[in-house]
Amino acid sequence: MENTPLTASAKTESNKPAGFFTKLVRQRALVLMSVPFILWLFIFKYLPLWGWTIAFQDFKPAKGFFNQRWVGFEHFSFLFQDERFLRVLRNTLAMSSINLALGFVTAIILALLLNEVRHVYFKRVVQTVSYLPHFISWVVAASIVQSTLSPDGIINQMMLWFGWVDKGNEILFLGIGEYFWGIFGASSVWKDVGWNTIVYLAAMTMIDPAQYEAAKMDGANRFQRIWYVTLPGIKPVIIVLLIMQIGHLLEAGFEPQYLLGNGMNVDYSEVIDIFVLKYGIAQGNFSLSVAAGMFKTVVSFILLFAANYLAKRMGESRLF
Amino acid sequence: MHVKKWMTGAIAAAMLFTVIGCSGGNGTNESATPGNNSETKSNGAEKPASLEKVTFSYFNAAAAAKDINTNETTIGKMLEDQTGVNFKIEHLVGDLNTKIGTMIASNDYPDVLIPDAAIDKVLDAGAFIPLNDLIEEHGPNIKKVYGPYFDQMKAADGNIYFIPFSNVVGEYVPDPSIGQGAFWVQRRVLEEAGYPKINKLDDYFKLIEDYMNKHKDEDLTGFMTLTHDWRFFATSNPPMHLEGYPNDGGVIVDMNTFEAKTYAAADSTKRWLQKLNDINAKGMFDKASFVDNYDQYLAKMTSGKVLGFFDYGWQVGNATNNLSDAAKADPSKDGLRYFPLPVTFDGQKDQYLDPPSFVKNRGIGITVSAKDPVRIIQYFDNLLKEENQVLRSWGIKGETFEVNDQGRMYRTPEQIAKIDETFNEKFGFKYYSWNWPLWGNGSSFPDGNAVSPGVQPEVFQMSLTDADKAILEKYGVKTYSEMFAAPDERPWFPAWAIPKEQGSPQQIFTTKSDEITKKYFPKLVLANPSEFEAVWAEYTGEMGKLDTEQYEKWTTEEVKKLIDLAKAK
Amino acid sequence: MATAAISSSKPKKAHRISSSREDRIFDICNYIFLVLLMVVTLYPFLNTAAISLNQANDTIRGGIYLWPRLFTWDNYAYVFKEASVFHATMISVLRSVIGTVVTVFCSAMVAYTISRQDFVLRKFVTLAFILTMYFNGGLIPNFLLVRELGMLGTFSVYIIPGIIGVFNLIIIRSFIDGLPESILESARIDGAGDFTTFIKIVLPLCVPVLATVALFTAVYQWNSWFDVFLYNSSYQELSTLQYELQKILQNSNASLTARTASDAFANANNDAANAVTPMAVRATMTIVASLPIIMVYPFLQKYFVKGMMVGGVKG
Repeated sequence: MENTPLTASAKTESNKPAGFFTKLVRQRALVLMSVPFILWLFIFKYLPLWGWTIAFQDFKPAKGFFNQRWVGFEHFSFLFQDERFLRVLRNTLAMSSINLALGFVTAIILALLLNEVRHVYFKRVVQTVSYLPHFISWVVAASIVQSTLSPDGIINQMMLWFGWVDKGNEILFLGIGEYFWGIFGASSVWKDVGWNTIVYLAAMTMIDPAQYEAAKMDGANRFQRIWYVTLPGIKPVIIVLLIMQIGHLLEAGFEPQYLLGNGMNVDYSEVIDIFVLKYGIAQGNFSLSVAAGMFKTVVSFILLFAANYLAKRMGESRLF
Repeated sequence: MHVKKWMTGAIAAAMLFTVIGCSGGNGTNESATPGNNSETKSNGAEKPASLEKVTFSYFNAAAAAKDINTNETTIGKMLEDQTGVNFKIEHLVGDLNTKIGTMIASNDYPDVLIPDAAIDKVLDAGAFIPLNDLIEEHGPNIKKVYGPYFDQMKAADGNIYFIPFSNVVGEYVPDPSIGQGAFWVQRRVLEEAGYPKINKLDDYFKLIEDYMNKHKDEDLTGFMTLTHDWRFFATSNPPMHLEGYPNDGGVIVDMNTFEAKTYAAADSTKRWLQKLNDINAKGMFDKASFVDNYDQYLAKMTSGKVLGFFDYGWQVGNATNNLSDAAKADPSKDGLRYFPLPVTFDGQKDQYLDPPSFVKNRGIGITVSAKDPVRIIQYFDNLLKEENQVLRSWGIKGETFEVNDQGRMYRTPEQIAKIDETFNEKFGFKYYSWNWPLWGNGSSFPDGNAVSPGVQPEVFQMSLTDADKAILEKYGVKTYSEMFAAPDERPWFPAWAIPKEQGSPQQIFTTKSDEITKKYFPKLVLANPSEFEAVWAEYTGEMGKLDTEQYEKWTTEEVKKLIDLAKAK
Repeated sequence: MATAAISSSKPKKAHRISSSREDRIFDICNYIFLVLLMVVTLYPFLNTAAISLNQANDTIRGGIYLWPRLFTWDNYAYVFKEASVFHATMISVLRSVIGTVVTVFCSAMVAYTISRQDFVLRKFVTLAFILTMYFNGGLIPNFLLVRELGMLGTFSVYIIPGIIGVFNLIIIRSFIDGLPESILESARIDGAGDFTTFIKIVLPLCVPVLATVALFTAVYQWNSWFDVFLYNSSYQELSTLQYELQKILQNSNASLTARTASDAFANANNDAANAVTPMAVRATMTIVASLPIIMVYPFLQKYFVKGMMVGGVKG
C-alpha cells in the first residue's frame, strides 16, 4: 500500500532515456485522455483569473476593464491594517484547525467502528442515519443548535435537573465567547461526521481480507488488527486528504459562524469570510473580497507545498 | 461551439414577443374602463398609437412572488387590453449585488428594472435611460401625479432616471394600525391596572413590575428585546423614539437647526440601557434576548409569558397574527395580545408614526436594453389614471369592492374572505400593489376614498373584534394609530434612506458603529449595576475612535439638501 | 471485509477465548455508541419533518420536537401547488444523472493518467488540477466566460463547468495507486492499450471509489442552485428543484411581510391560520429536497460496503 505501486514499470521506462517528444508520442493515448481536460481546465479555471486584477482596482462593474481606477495595494492594506483582521485570522485558523483535527479523527474513528460491525443491515442503517444531518442546511441546523443551548433548551434543563445550575441562572452558552469554538467544533462534527466517513469506508474495501486472516493467525486482537491492518490500509487516503485540507486552512466555513454568532461571542465567532462580507460584499466592494481571496490563495499554496514536502520527507504518500 | 448563437436576456424576451397584429379592440378604450367607478372621469390621456401586442421583460429585485406574465392576472389582462403591453415578470431569488453586478458587467438588462438597494450601481453604469422627454411627450398622467416631486426625482445632471413609488396623491390618509415602532404590553396587564394612561418609560416598566409582583408563580418575563442579526435595530433604536423622534435610523435630526446627531453613545442611549440594566437586576429582563434568534423571539411572544417588548409592528406580525387567531377562537386569550403604547422618556410628545415620506432612492426605470421605451412609458402613464388606480388597488366593483350611498368604498365580509393569497396572485393585486408608478400609500382619490383599502376607515373598523373595540374605547380612540401623536412634517424623512455611496466613509462608519453596539449592548445590560458606568466608559471609548463628526456632518448636509428640494416645489 | 469480520466471530482456538470476551465487550460498547450516534443524528431530520407536518402558524409557538402538534399537509400543498416544481424536479434529476456520469467517467480517466508514474505529463497535469482547488477568479469573470461561450440559458452550464472535480480526481487517483500492480502489469503484457486498460481493468476495479465519487457528485448536482441563479434565472424551463424551492421560500417570506402590512385587513390573509411561514416552508423544502437524494445512498452503499474488488483480484 505504498505510494509507488508502478515504480517497476516506471523504472523499465527510464532505462532507456528517451526524448520527451518520443515519450509523448508513445504515450499518445494517455495524452489524449488528459490533455483535452487540461484545455478545459485552462478555460474554466485559469482564464477567469484575469478577475484578480479587480483587487488592484477600485472596481466598478459599470466601467469596463480599461476604465477602472487603479489603486495598487489599497484594498490589501485596508484588510491587513484593520486591527480586527488579526482577530478574525486567529478565529479562522482556530476553527479550521479544530475542524481539521476533530473532523478527521471522528470520521476515521467512526469508519473504523462501522467496519467492525458484523450485522450488515445494522451497519447500513447506522451509515445512512449518521449522514442525514449533512442534508440539513446550516440555517436549520443552527436553529436546532440554538434551541438546544438556550436557557430552556435540553442542556440547561439537564443541568438544572442534576443541580449544576440554579433556576434563573441558566448558562447562555452562545453568549460566552470562549465556548464558541467548542460549540462550533461539536456542531460541525455532528453535522458531517457520517458524511465524512464515506470515503474511508470506500478505502477500506481495498484492504485484502487475507491480511486480516494473517493478522489473526499471528494472534492479533481487535485493536491490533485495526491498528496494524485497517489503519495502514487507509493511510494513503488519509494523508492525501489531510494535505488537501491543510491547504484549506483559511477556509473555516462561513455559515455556522454567521448563524450562531452574535454580539456576545463576536470576538470568537467572526471569521475572515464574515469580515469580508461586512466590508466587501455588503458594501458592493468586489475588490476587497477578491483581495481577501488572493491572500487566502497565497497562504493556501504555502501550506499546501509545505505539507506535501513534509509528507515526502516522511516517506508518506504525497498529493503531487 | 455555437459562439454568438446564444441568447441574451433581451433576445429571450424578444422570443416571447407575440406579434398578433392589431387586436380588434381598437377604440374600445373607454368601455374597457375597469374600475367602473361612477366618480371616475376621463382625464384625456393620449391613447397609445398602436395596440400591437408586445411583451417586455421586467425584473424586480425588491419583492418576491411567483414569476408570471402580467396578462395572466385579471388586472394585467385588462391593462393589456388597454395598451397591448404585457410584462414578463422575474423576481430576484439570490443575492442582489451579484445579480445586478452580472447584468452590469455583461451590459444585458431586462427592459424594465427595479434594482432596489443596488440602484446607485445601476445609475452609475448608465443603465437607465433619461425619462424627461418621454414623460413630456407621452406622460400627461405621470406629470400630473409625480409633478410635485420632479425636483426631488432629478439626478445631478437634471435628468429623471427612474420613478419612485412613495408619492402621495390627494389628502394623506394615515394608517390606522401600527406597523411602526411602539412599546407593546399585554392587554391583561392594562386591564388589571385599570387601563392607565402610560406615556413615560418609568411608568411603563412600573406597570410591568407591578403585574409581575402580583403573579410571582406564573414564570413570567417582564421584557425582552430583539437582537438577532440585522434586526438588532429593534434594540438600538428606542432611545430615538423615547426622545420623541421618528425612525430616522442612526441619527436624530433636530427640528430647529436640522443638525443630524448620532445617539448610539449619547445620554439617551445611556438612559435606555441603564433602564434595561435596572430591570435585568430586578429579574424582569429576558437575558436570552441577546442570543435568541428571530424564531425563538417570536416563539416567546406567542407563548404568552412575555409581558412587554419594544418593536416595529411589521416585524412581529407573525406572532401578533397568531395571538389574534387564538383570541378569536377563545376570547379569554385576548389578554395575551399586545397593545401599543406611545412611551417616551418623560412623557414628551411622541413621534412613533412615520410622517408622509418620499423615498427617492428606490424606483422603477427603463434600461438601455429596452427596445420600445415609448410603449413602456405609455403603459406607466395609463396605469396612473384614476380608474386604473382603483382597479389595481380595489379591483372591480361588485366583485372585490362595493360603494355605499355616500360614495364610500368598502368590502363586504364575503369579499374580504375571498381575497386570499391565491386570489391576490390570480387577480394581480399582489403584482400591482407596489413596484410600479402608482399613487403611493396614504394617497386618496379626489372623492376622499383611500387608495389603499387597508387604510380605509370602513374596512379597518370591520376588521376589529369586540375586544379590540372595547380596549380602544377605554383609551377613547377609534384606531390604534390615534393612540399616538400626529407626525410632524419632516421633508428629509427617513434619514436612513439617504443613499450612501458603496464603500464610502459613511457606510463604513455605519458598519463599524453597528459592530460596536452589538458587542457592548449585551455587556451593558447584563452588567452588575455597580459596573455599568465602567462598561459605559469603555463603550464610549470605543465609539470615540470612530469619526462620528464626519458622519454627522455628511448626514446634516444631505438632510439640508432634501429640505431645500422640498422647499423648491 | 464482511467475510473477514464474520469469520473473526467464530473463535476456535483456545487463546481466542480471552479475546472473545474482549470482542464481546468491544461489540457491546460499539453498538451502544452507534445507537447513541443514530439518536443524535436522526433528531434534526425528525425535528424538521415534524415541523414540516405541523400547522405553520402553530409552529411559531415553538416546542415542536419529534412529532407535529397540529398535523397538516398544508405546507406540502403550498410547496407543490406550483406546477413548476415537477418540471424542475425533472431537470434536477437530469443534471444529477448526466452530471454524475460525465464527471465520474472523466475524473476517473484523468485520474488514471496521473496515476501512471511513467506518464511524461504526470507532474504537470497533477499540479495544474490541484492548484485550482485553492483559487477562484471570482464571480463576474466566471459569468462573463460562460456568457462568451454561449452557455447562458443552456443545460450545458450545469455540466460543462464541473466536468472534473479535483477532489474526486485525487480520491480516485489514490485508489488506483493502491491497486495491486500485478494486475495492471499483466494487462500491459497482454498488449492492451492504455485506454483499453483503463476501461477494461481499472474502471471495474475502482467501483467502490467510483460509487463514492458518484455519490458526492450527485449530491452536489442535486443541491446546487447558485448556477441556476447566476446563469439561467430567466429560463424557467431550465430551473431546478432547489431553485424553485428557494423561490417558494422567498415568496413565503414576502407574503408574510405583506400580511403584516396594513393591507392585511383588507383581505382574508388576516386570518393567518391557513398561511405558511418561512420556518415551515424551510422545513418542508428540506424534506422535499433531501428525501430523493438520501434514497440514493443505500443503493450505492452496497458497492462500498462489500469488498468488491478483492474477488476480482483473486479470480
